[in-house]
Amino acid sequence: MPDGQIVGGYIVPGLPHLVLPRDSTSRAELRNAFRTAGANARAARPDVLVIFSTQWISVLGHLVQTRPNPKGVHVDENWYDLGDLPYDFRTDLELARRTIELSNAAGLQVRPVDYEGFPVDTGMLVTLDFFDPKHELPVVGMSCNIYAGRDEELKLGKAVGDAVRALGRRAAVIACTGLSGHWFTKDIKDNEDRIVGDVDDAENRRMLDLIAQGKCATAMDAAPDYARKTGADMQFKAFYWLLGALGSETAKGKVLAYGPIWGSGAAVVEFAV
Amino acid sequence: MAGKGKIVSGYIAPHPPHLVYGENPPQNIPRSTGGWEVLRWAYDNCRAKIKAQKPDVILIHTPHWMTLVGHHITRVPRLKGLSVDPIFPHLFRYNFDTAIDCEMADAIYDEAIGEGLTARKMTNPNFRLDYGTIVTAHMLNPDWDIPIVSLSANNSPYYFSLGVGIEEMFKLGRATRRAIEKSGRRAVLAASNTLSHFHFDREPDPSLPEDMSKEHVFSHTNYLWDMRVLQLMREGRMDELLKVLPEFIDATSAEVKSGGLFWMLAAMDFPTIPAKVHGYWSVIATGNAVVEWDLSDAAGNGHQEMRAHA
Repeated sequence: MPDGQIVGGYIVPGLPHLVLPRDSTSRAELRNAFRTAGANARAARPDVLVIFSTQWISVLGHLVQTRPNPKGVHVDENWYDLGDLPYDFRTDLELARRTIELSNAAGLQVRPVDYEGFPVDTGMLVTLDFFDPKHELPVVGMSCNIYAGRDEELKLGKAVGDAVRALGRRAAVIACTGLSGHWFTKDIKDNEDRIVGDVDDAENRRMLDLIAQGKCATAMDAAPDYARKTGADMQFKAFYWLLGALGSETAKGKVLAYGPIWGSGAAVVEFAV
Repeated sequence: MAGKGKIVSGYIAPHPPHLVYGENPPQNIPRSTGGWEVLRWAYDNCRAKIKAQKPDVILIHTPHWMTLVGHHITRVPRLKGLSVDPIFPHLFRYNFDTAIDCEMADAIYDEAIGEGLTARKMTNPNFRLDYGTIVTAHMLNPDWDIPIVSLSANNSPYYFSLGVGIEEMFKLGRATRRAIEKSGRRAVLAASNTLSHFHFDREPDPSLPEDMSKEHVFSHTNYLWDMRVLQLMREGRMDELLKVLPEFIDATSAEVKSGGLFWMLAAMDFPTIPAKVHGYWSVIATGNAVVEWDLSDAAGNGHQEMRAHA
């Protein structure tokens, strides 16, 4: 068995406005960057996509999807008027189970979920739409525990990396998360969209600059304050997970796009590995 | 149907999926050996009462349909599907099938807009009802023979402040009351809330979730808080209740923060009649009570005086 490796690392947004409605032309820069990231990931010939989504919230530890073939139709609870998200993908069961095993060995509470009709979240499906539009690649999806902090997410990410290497997989690891989490609380038109606060915008850019410079340890240290100021999506903990999976605190992230989705911050970032 | 509709009763109707799991109804796939009987028996009392009151509709405000832009209202004639609880999928995989009272939904929407609120009608027929709505609806009326309307929890109490959130819910409550009156409906209201909301971060025994020897309220402090607010409800001390709820929320992370109780109290015009506490117990350490305000003429409570809070 060849040594496994992480072949790409990404931060991507997960709101459905980037894929629905299908004929929408709004937020073109984010869409195009997302497409580029997906194409780059596929060009690296991954065996599997590993996705941590902040929109899959868990309370009792983390959950990992172990349904062999999740399929159904998902309707977002906020943006149901944009359309439905049908899905049909395969899970890399071996990698999912090894990740669970290694996570539990590291002291985390991580459980499998294998239930017909278990809700697959919007972020996961938006990510798959760009990264695997032909439904060719198996997936490992995992939840965002609302109580977990830096240490837990780093451990969970490390368990992913270790499982990938142990099983000889080539994996793209994807943190599906927003940046600043303040948004418009009234209806807006697409062309009225902007980052809703100047502080949010400045702090998002500061965080992205640190990431672009490879100062990820500094970025992690700054994340709690960043989250407090900007209401960052799930305290930006997906970033910890991603760094745990990449196994590096100096990886440089190339910011392919940054912009608003309904006032919140969104970026597509690609990490060199 | 039009004319002088009315709210016949309001319930705090908590929604832990454990209650459905413990009951083993045919709609739910997982099987149990029981559990949480005291709360389930409390609901039993309400079921009979609701049947006797012959309501046209049950309105449920649920914290597990959290919306960012305004207050959302289910507005499709029928919703059907499999609802799997994302937190407790091993306990709750429920086949739901319910009629929605679309006229009622339209009326609430119109009145909410009239109050200056942002509101939306949820018209997607593939929408999956959240487990808060389903558990509360099932526990109040397992026959599902009364149409429902589900109202989302706008997250203003978390996004802005509790004060802003309460104001929103008072407006939504007023809007709901007017909508019911204009529609001619006899309505039951349900605030799908737990009380104290600190919980275990692990299931005591995942292989036997209904092991009641492991069940207890999170802390004595939380218990005392729950009893304090329940006592105020039992004594009809509405002013004191409203005054203490913010402190209660802060101290116990009470789920009433999500708005349902404030909405229901406002819709009922802040009743000062004694509420009936049908039962209280913990579920995975959270404090849960089934509480009823009977506003029916039969109970002699049909004419609440207008009050000044809203």
